[in-house]
Amino acid sequence: MKFLKRLVFKLYVLFLMGFTVWYGMFMYPLIFGFEGKEEAAESLRELSHSKSADEEMFDRLIEEQSRTSRTDLGFKVIEQPYIEGRFHHIGFSVQKDQASICVRCHGNVPHNKSKELRSFMNMHAFYLACETCHMPAEKGEPGYEYRWYDKDTGKLVPNPRVLHDIEDSYRSAVRSYPTYGNYGAKIAPGIEENGKFRWLHGKKDMAFVERYISEQERLDQEQKSQMKRVIHRGVSKEPVACKRCHNEEGQFLPFARLGYPPRRTDELTNSSVVGMIQKYKEFYIPSFLTPGIEDDDEDKEEQEQQAEE
Amino acid sequence: MNACYSYKSFALLAVIVSLIAFSDQVPAGDELNCVMCHKHRGLSRIDENGEFRLFYINQELFDSGPHRRNKCKDCHTDIDRIPHKPAKKVDCAQQCHIVEPSGQKKFTHKPIADTLARSAHGKLDADGKPKPYQDDFPECKDCHDQPFYRPISVYKGKVKSGVSERAVTRCKACHTSGDFAEDFYEHVTSRLRKTRFPLETIEVCAKCHQDPDFRERHELDDVVTTYKQTFHGKLIALGSEKTPDCLDCHVVAGENTHLIESQTVPSSAVYKDNVPTTCRTEDCHTKAGANLAGFQTHVTYDRKKYPLQFYMLMGFKALMALVLYFFLTLIFLELLRRLFPNFTFIKEKSVDSSPQQKKS
Repeated sequence: MKFLKRLVFKLYVLFLMGFTVWYGMFMYPLIFGFEGKEEAAESLRELSHSKSADEEMFDRLIEEQSRTSRTDLGFKVIEQPYIEGRFHHIGFSVQKDQASICVRCHGNVPHNKSKELRSFMNMHAFYLACETCHMPAEKGEPGYEYRWYDKDTGKLVPNPRVLHDIEDSYRSAVRSYPTYGNYGAKIAPGIEENGKFRWLHGKKDMAFVERYISEQERLDQEQKSQMKRVIHRGVSKEPVACKRCHNEEGQFLPFARLGYPPRRTDELTNSSVVGMIQKYKEFYIPSFLTPGIEDDDEDKEEQEQQAEE
Repeated sequence: MNACYSYKSFALLAVIVSLIAFSDQVPAGDELNCVMCHKHRGLSRIDENGEFRLFYINQELFDSGPHRRNKCKDCHTDIDRIPHKPAKKVDCAQQCHIVEPSGQKKFTHKPIADTLARSAHGKLDADGKPKPYQDDFPECKDCHDQPFYRPISVYKGKVKSGVSERAVTRCKACHTSGDFAEDFYEHVTSRLRKTRFPLETIEVCAKCHQDPDFRERHELDDVVTTYKQTFHGKLIALGSEKTPDCLDCHVVAGENTHLIESQTVPSSAVYKDNVPTTCRTEDCHTKAGANLAGFQTHVTYDRKKYPLQFYMLMGFKALMALVLYFFLTLIFLELLRRLFPNFTFIKEKSVDSSPQQKKS
């Protein structure tokens, strides 16, 4: 008993000694903190000087990934993603596609070639899987079935409820703000066989792509090309054109079956959207709405070129 | 040519028909139906420099501030077709369609831009020559994103954030047209307090003033870090809205907030002789003595720039370290003795005590 008592006492003393040492270490940065901060800032500055502009941009992008801005209005707080230099507010973060094998390499904002269309196509990439437009069924083959998949899990999900919120907003007397394009799901093609539905690209394809990404450094250029060929098998040279869906008769995508209510379907297949696509280049805002504004330089150049021809 | 005209006429008709058809979705300020595309969260691209460009407009948030009465084209004047080319940079000093009610003139932010030009943040010096490092001087968008209303509600002496439906209802007894009453209420009550939460104001200033490279270029002290170490800075960090932020001390009371002047300018709020007046405004330290802020408020411990402050700090630190570590060492040794009560480096020779001593 006496031994136990002594042991407990010794342990207690040891603990206090440990605490004393810890406290001394804990207080050190508090006392000498200013110098430490300055030195750290200086070393960071030196580090940043040694980086190229591209490297600095990469660092900034990584930082912005998790950066949010917070606006406190007193009666509510708005947390939203931060984008350097952006004036208009975003309001919410968009759910990223974790399930697409294409996005794994091409990213969520993949279109860049066509100056006129790139933003529109990227907009569609938020709710249409790449395969929907870039892997249509071959001529003569039975068409694919189109369904919604969850952006997180890749699993089949019911048609998004938000589409009905959009429909309701048309009728509502009070102004409402439904979300367009952020449905947490995407439309992708699949095949119905023996009553069972399977996606055109499934888990096996994702595993294949993951393996390629992790091991590509070990492959030589030829092997890489081979692998890419396999991954891109079935990608059509000519993607589905806008007007295949945005037209009044016989849309490529079955809007109604995908949960698009009548008025929203009508909006997508009639009047404004279709009109804009059909009159793509010639569709000007009438000049009486823009007094004093002449056609831009590029138009003048075009006119000059035509005159030369 | 005639075919072209008829084609354009058809296009015009299509615009009008579609605008009428979907008029219930088109906000008042969006007569060109820009939101037909810009309401989509994914409308975006990566530009030639690798920057992410998002063209989405959150209508709900857009409608939560004074700009909601503006048409898109009021600011984006170069947009003359749909789809359009990349928009040019917006000039906030241009006139928009809104008529400023007190003067019946078209509204513009030009007076603010002129005020900014006269301030320490202006791009030209007193002689009208460009200051060095022109890119460092802020433009509107460097400090401002799209403004929000921050309305307050007052009822029976109780003040809280948000819109008072009671008050709006009273306004609407006379002002029945459209959203005039709501707009006016939110605009005026938002001006009764600061339109930004103090912590956000400090973050805006910190974007430049906490950047080491920026400070080095302009030979400025690290005022943001030192402010955060003050009593004011700590209260704001804890969420206080009643504590002064950068603008409260650096702008003369009642002056436009964009007129921040250097501490060397005699009319500046932080000019040596004006500091007591700045502290003594009716909302702050009304009875403050002349020396309330007579100290160097944003002191930085730079050995070359402020040697006295630097060595004083070193002295205090040395004193604090000496006292603390002396007593910690003492405690440690005392505990060591408790652990080893009989331990000694020098062993004394044992002396046998005499029988007499034993008896006593």
